[in-house]
Amino acid sequence: MPKILLVEDNEMNRDMLSRRLVRREFEVVTAATGLEAIEKARSLRPDLILMDLSLPDVDGWEATRRIKGAAETAGIPVIALTAHAMAGDREKALEAGANDYDTKPVEFDRLIQKITTLLGDARRA
Amino acid sequence: MSAEMPDPLGRENEELRQEVRTAREAAEITAQLVAEQFEETERILALFQSANAQREAVLNAASRISIIAADKEGRITLFNRGAEGMLGYAAAEVLGGRTPLDFHLRTEIVARCEELGQIVGEAVEGPGLFMQYARRQMSGEQEWTYVRKDGSHIQVSMSVTGIHSGDGELGGFLCAAMDITHLKRQEERLRQAMTVAESANRTKTTFLANMSHELRTPLNAIIGYSEMLEEEAGDAGLGGFVEDLRKIHTAGKHLLALINDVLDLSKIEAGKVELFVESFSVASMIDDVASTIRPLIEKKENRLEIKVAEGLGTMKSDLMRTRQILFNLLSNAAKFTEKGTITIEAFADASSREEQIVFRVRDTGIGMSPEQIARIFQPFVQADSTTTRKFGGTGLGLTISRTFCRMMGGEVAVESREGHGSTFTVTLPQEVKSKREALEGGGAAERLKPREKASTPRGPNTVLVIDDDPAVHELLANYLEKDGFDVVTASSGEEGIRLALELRPTVITLDILMPGMDGWAVLRALKSNPDTSQIPVVIITIEENRNLGFTLGASDFLVKPVSHLELFDTLRKYKRVSVTGRILVVEDEEETRNLLVRLIRKEGWDVAEAENGRVALDRIAERKPDLIFLDLMMPVMDGFEFVKEIRNREEYQLIPVVVVTAKDLTPEERQWLNGNVYQVFKKGSYNRSELMRQVRELVLRHVSPRPEAGKDVKRGG
Ligand SMILES: Nc1ncnc2c1ncn2[C@@H]1O[C@H](COP(=O)(O)OP(=O)(O)O)[C@@H](O)[C@H]1O
Ligand SMILES: [Mg+2]
Repeated sequence: MPKILLVEDNEMNRDMLSRRLVRREFEVVTAATGLEAIEKARSLRPDLILMDLSLPDVDGWEATRRIKGAAETAGIPVIALTAHAMAGDREKALEAGANDYDTKPVEFDRLIQKITTLLGDARRA
Repeated sequence: MSAEMPDPLGRENEELRQEVRTAREAAEITAQLVAEQFEETERILALFQSANAQREAVLNAASRISIIAADKEGRITLFNRGAEGMLGYAAAEVLGGRTPLDFHLRTEIVARCEELGQIVGEAVEGPGLFMQYARRQMSGEQEWTYVRKDGSHIQVSMSVTGIHSGDGELGGFLCAAMDITHLKRQEERLRQAMTVAESANRTKTTFLANMSHELRTPLNAIIGYSEMLEEEAGDAGLGGFVEDLRKIHTAGKHLLALINDVLDLSKIEAGKVELFVESFSVASMIDDVASTIRPLIEKKENRLEIKVAEGLGTMKSDLMRTRQILFNLLSNAAKFTEKGTITIEAFADASSREEQIVFRVRDTGIGMSPEQIARIFQPFVQADSTTTRKFGGTGLGLTISRTFCRMMGGEVAVESREGHGSTFTVTLPQEVKSKREALEGGGAAERLKPREKASTPRGPNTVLVIDDDPAVHELLANYLEKDGFDVVTASSGEEGIRLALELRPTVITLDILMPGMDGWAVLRALKSNPDTSQIPVVIITIEENRNLGFTLGASDFLVKPVSHLELFDTLRKYKRVSVTGRILVVEDEEETRNLLVRLIRKEGWDVAEAENGRVALDRIAERKPDLIFLDLMMPVMDGFEFVKEIRNREEYQLIPVVVVTAKDLTPEERQWLNGNVYQVFKKGSYNRSELMRQVRELVLRHVSPRPEAGKDVKRGG
């Protein structure tokens, strides 16, 4: 069962997304801040990370940059979740090293598709 | 949301603007009065040059105007009662001993001396300044600061005139001034009020943007949980819940769409939308949009057809915005069509200089009347007030789509017939430029002398250049005059607005960063006055804020330094082609005839008119027209008969005839006309600007250009 690290500071969204992912048979671990995300990426070695961008302490861009900058976690695919509202978010996310992005509120099926694609790529690589 | 959304700030702005306008008018009237008083005084002065006592009496009667005369050396020879009151000195104190310079701000004198020195090409100083003004008859009013005896300052409007002795020699000068302090103060107060209103407007926009963002977070949860519960309820066999949960989900998504639209609009207004240009495949972008929209289309039993031209390949543009535009158009098509067909087409159009990609969204739905079409691109406006109730929506989709199109250098157009469906056509450059690169550097902008504002006769194409930098005036004028434009320049926003009203130029170029009234304020003023709102404005500036420009109604946006080629390319589309052609308007209804005649004359063409076919034949005999506008139902000789008459005469056979009629044509009539006239317009089904566009095109097509303008003539179609 692929393991997904869901990084999201809003409790309801975290709960909702993780439950929906579990229903689709993913194993889900969560983090609520950027630092927690960096730490869990290293210690739990998830197969993929869903990264919200506006986070307390270290924001999602910085967290992505650090995860992608550390050799041990660089290979983990990251999907940035951007709020449609902010122009330039997605460009910045890709610059920070995210493999893909999706907008919030998520269209769940589309998100699942992106996850599956990235997991497939990761397996092949 | 109601179709007429009240906008208190907008109204406040409008009121302020009105106040400013009133104040400006008042100021103009006052200035006029002052000028008249001056003239009168001067006239009387001349009359009574010798009669000293009477002269004194006259001067003192003008008690609200300060009149000070001095000899060549600047010694004061006359100091009237008005001057005493205004400056706080008694005549006895100043006569003989002081010069008028003593009542001025030293820095102001130095600045004016320098300014005048540059114009006349020699050093100017001291009382020589006023003598120079007098000698060169540059006596026109200027604003000056007077320093009173107690040290306080007042603003005056002052004119300088020469005093000539009997033999015509310039023996001294006379300064006549009027206190305008209170006017200045009022102007300042209004300016401040405007600034406050504008910043309040900005605050509102920022607030709206933040607010929308905050709204999205809880909405996220509502949409997500309801969708999840819907799945879970289905799995658990709780079918009864599924439907209600779906309603929550749908309502949540609708609310989200509204918030997104409002947010987009507020971002556009705040000038915060930036383009992100990337390369993508047109076909897969359309597939992507189609798969998102398909459920919406099929819900109303519509069929979706996709026609992407072979080998269309990639385009460079803002992917998200392009997708959003198409999505808007497709969701409108889905919304207003039932059991019909919705088609999306994409193809390349290489006919223009720049390759363009055309997207066309066609539906077989309810369509729109011409009146409705005229309104739908305005924010918060829907075709009619029942639309919201029946179909939902905000009335923002098209406003946003069009703004995005224009930002990318494209356009969106609509064709529609009530009951027969609509077609929206989006044209975007195949390669959207995120920033224009000037082909030539700014080195050419060497400083040159200010342009003389000679009032030479002007041709049909005048460009008004509004820029505070005289070097820019010179540069643009150099370029534009080569391209066959006449150029008039304004050094400030106020002057620009005044000249725009006075001259009604073909097109205006506008700088943004100017002291005093900046370009944005000028653009707003131009666009809010119906007399100038139609004049296309091209912004030329160093500031890269084209979005704000387009939101405020600019037609084009160029970034300094501007190359000749770039300027030419941008401005030539506004150029009117000169024609010697004559147009004959045949129409019995006086009002309609006058309207047409006026519209045509305004474009600079020669018009003849006739109230029926018989009179029209006389007019043709006098001088053969190049184009005829013809009504059908007229007394004495109607349109059909008239056409038969002229088609029977060889020399008139080739004159193109355009029928403008209110008549419901029978198929036979229509067919007969088809063989004999060029085009048929239905009265009332066009709006003025549309008609004029058509007229212009027809004239360009059928009327021979003036020989000397020949090289610039471009014919459409
Ligand atoms: N394809 C269409 N067919 C008929 N009417 C349309 C179509 N597209 C737009 N309209 C009219 O234009 C109005 C404005 O459209 P839009 O700006 O997208 O706002 P909204 O869809 O939120 O009402 C609509 O309310 C509708 O009256
Ligand atoms: Mg719409």
